[in-house]
Amino acid sequence: MLKLDNVTVKYGKYAAIRDVSLTVEKGEIVVLLGANGAGKTTTFRTISGLNQLAGGKIIFEDLEIHRKSPNKIVEMGIVHCAEDRKLFPQMSVQENLNLGGYVHRKNKQQIKNSMKEVYDLFPILYEKRDDPAGSLSGGQQQMLAIGRALMAKPKLMLLDEPSIGLAPLIVEQMFESIQQINKEGTTILLAEQNANAALSIANRGYVYENGKIVVQGSSQELFENEEVRKAYIGA
Amino acid sequence: MLGAYITLTMMTALGVHYVISIIVSIFVVGVVSVLLERLVFFPLREAPPIQDKVAAIGILLFLEALAQLIWGPHYLQMSTPFNQVIAIGGLTITLQRIIIVITAVTVMILLWLFLKKTYMGASIMAMAQNRDGASLVGINTNKVAMITFFIAGGLAAIGASLTSPINLVFPGMGHLVILKAFVIIILGGMGSVPGAILGGYILGFTEAIGATYISNDYKDIIAFVLLVIILTFKPQGIFAREESK
Ligand SMILES: Nc1ncnc2c1ncn2[C@@H]1O[C@H](COP(=O)(O)OP(=O)(O)O)[C@@H](O)[C@H]1O
Ligand SMILES: [Mg+2]
Repeated sequence: MLKLDNVTVKYGKYAAIRDVSLTVEKGEIVVLLGANGAGKTTTFRTISGLNQLAGGKIIFEDLEIHRKSPNKIVEMGIVHCAEDRKLFPQMSVQENLNLGGYVHRKNKQQIKNSMKEVYDLFPILYEKRDDPAGSLSGGQQQMLAIGRALMAKPKLMLLDEPSIGLAPLIVEQMFESIQQINKEGTTILLAEQNANAALSIANRGYVYENGKIVVQGSSQELFENEEVRKAYIGA
Repeated sequence: MLGAYITLTMMTALGVHYVISIIVSIFVVGVVSVLLERLVFFPLREAPPIQDKVAAIGILLFLEALAQLIWGPHYLQMSTPFNQVIAIGGLTITLQRIIIVITAVTVMILLWLFLKKTYMGASIMAMAQNRDGASLVGINTNKVAMITFFIAGGLAAIGASLTSPINLVFPGMGHLVILKAFVIIILGGMGSVPGAILGGYILGFTEAIGATYISNDYKDIIAFVLLVIILTFKPQGIFAREESK
């Protein structure tokens, strides 16, 4: 479904990721593991068109997408749920969700249905629907960011560190929701530092170090990998 | 300023009717604004916000110098077909002033409805609040930026063309307006249409009361006194919302 082929991305002269190749198949949950600064966010920003690549190719459903603008990429079915959430802080929860469905704005009925689905998944958002997004707690903002992404009905969702800054109990709920979203048909590419939780829901994973992929394998393999355990699981 | 000159030139050089001149002027200033967005503000989109403002001041000075070169430094007068005097219950007022009030209110309501009720308006607000976020929901930020500048330019042309017959047309005609707009934004909060209306009323009433009880000569100073007082005691603005940054 998605294929990165030797992708290199630079900030000025500095290569944040080098020769990254990875694939995501339809229906999967694939996780990118790596410490802070390893290059996960850069990978996501490049897939969604916010950053330009310096070398390589990105192919989505047999089409090259790496020269397309971000709005075209959303229209094709890839939605990026950013690490810093990128909500519209002064707009209400409902207005944020409405804009999440921007690419389907001509289809009022679908937007209404999607919104109901999001509220079913995260009932707290329904309670807070008229509150400005900026007033929500960290966990609620993350739910809203995911909800806003779902409104676009993505085929592939890029989820960048959804557990960042959340209390352990909320993290657990968050990963359950992610699994639920995947079961309902959305393919998920997840970036995480919380390897334990991420590997427990993922099919496969890649491990980043300093902008390069150093290990890859099934969740089970990564879980049993000595180095991965040492670096990210701490056992 | 540019809008007023274009309307005036259409009327005097080409003999076009006032209303049609304004419509042409809206379009021309709108297109000029879009060009400025592409040439100046678009390349600065990743730069710190202060650079936009410096660029805006630069454009202001440039356009004024350009106007002076083309039209000269003199005060010019704009005529209006709406100079009939109307008496309502003992008050006399020119038709032009009534048109200004009605147009201002209409444009304000339309703008507010546009921003609140349409996807295009929502995408303008979204882009102002988080440009990357807007890209990530599928908004074409280039298109929205151009439309925003077109609207801004067009509105400036309406404002300048309507008030010119009761003021005068000259290169620096916008200064007082810009400073007063600045006071209104500080009073009402950035990006809030109701706030702008409230801020406008506060300024208007303060000026009127000042003109009556102090002196008409000091009327325009009041805006600046307000500005100094507010910025001294509440630099974040009077009704500014708490930002979670
Ligand atoms: N806007 C930027 N400008 C310059 N360097 C950046 C920028 N964003 C990220 N980097 C650098 O790129 C590298 C990868 O960062 P990032 O992709 O954010 O990693 P991760 O998401 O895995 O924490 C880091 O060394 C980081 O300092
Ligand atoms: Mg990151």
